[in-house]
Amino acid sequence: MNSKDTIVRNTFLCAVAFALASCATLTKPESDVSFENLRAFEISFVDQYAVLGKRFDAAAFDAKVAEGNAKFQDAMTNEKFKARRPVLKDLADQFKAEAAHLRKKASTGKITKALAAERKRDINDNYEHAIAKKTE
Amino acid sequence: MLDQVNDSTVADAKKELQNLLADAKGDSATFFQQNAQKLEERLVLVSKGELDQDDFNFFVENQKRAAQIFIDSQPPQAQERAEKLTIHLLEVAATKIVPVLIAAAL
Repeated sequence: MNSKDTIVRNTFLCAVAFALASCATLTKPESDVSFENLRAFEISFVDQYAVLGKRFDAAAFDAKVAEGNAKFQDAMTNEKFKARRPVLKDLADQFKAEAAHLRKKASTGKITKALAAERKRDINDNYEHAIAKKTE
Repeated sequence: MLDQVNDSTVADAKKELQNLLADAKGDSATFFQQNAQKLEERLVLVSKGELDQDDFNFFVENQKRAAQIFIDSQPPQAQERAEKLTIHLLEVAATKIVPVLIAAAL
């Protein structure tokens, strides 16, 4: 095989690999994207409100919680597979519990660095379990 | 961290917790190991005063929900042991050990 053939072959293989990777991205289930969006929202919520020494703004906090609840409701409404809705419902309930706990801590100035780190770790674990469960 | 628990009235609970943790960490099921690992880490944070009883209880409720799903997925003959190494372990820590750790950290 001469060097021209090698270049043609390598270019072809790269093109095939690129096409396969593109297909994998394009066919990623819509609900995976939804789960990832909800996870990102919940993590950013903790980042925003589980901050040591930050003044608690009840109105802003409640508005953010309402935004989160609406996101979960939309995700449940738009989920095409009925079997996945209970998983989203569990996550929605966890978000509500998370918000209630964070409100209690933030409004009484009892946020610690450890609390924020541990909450984010639990949220990530909850989503990992949920994503694994919905694909079973 | 459990060395801080010297109260003789919880000696039995401390021993039970140590046995359950060792049993869970030695089991082949990843869920038991991870639950025990997370529990130990939270107990360390409580003993340092970085998490309070409220935070710990919240963690326990979250873990118990996950544990119940795991237990339900186990065959009937394995469920009693699974409950003991997850939910019971978490409850012993929350109700008997954490209050003593918090008192010692004050």
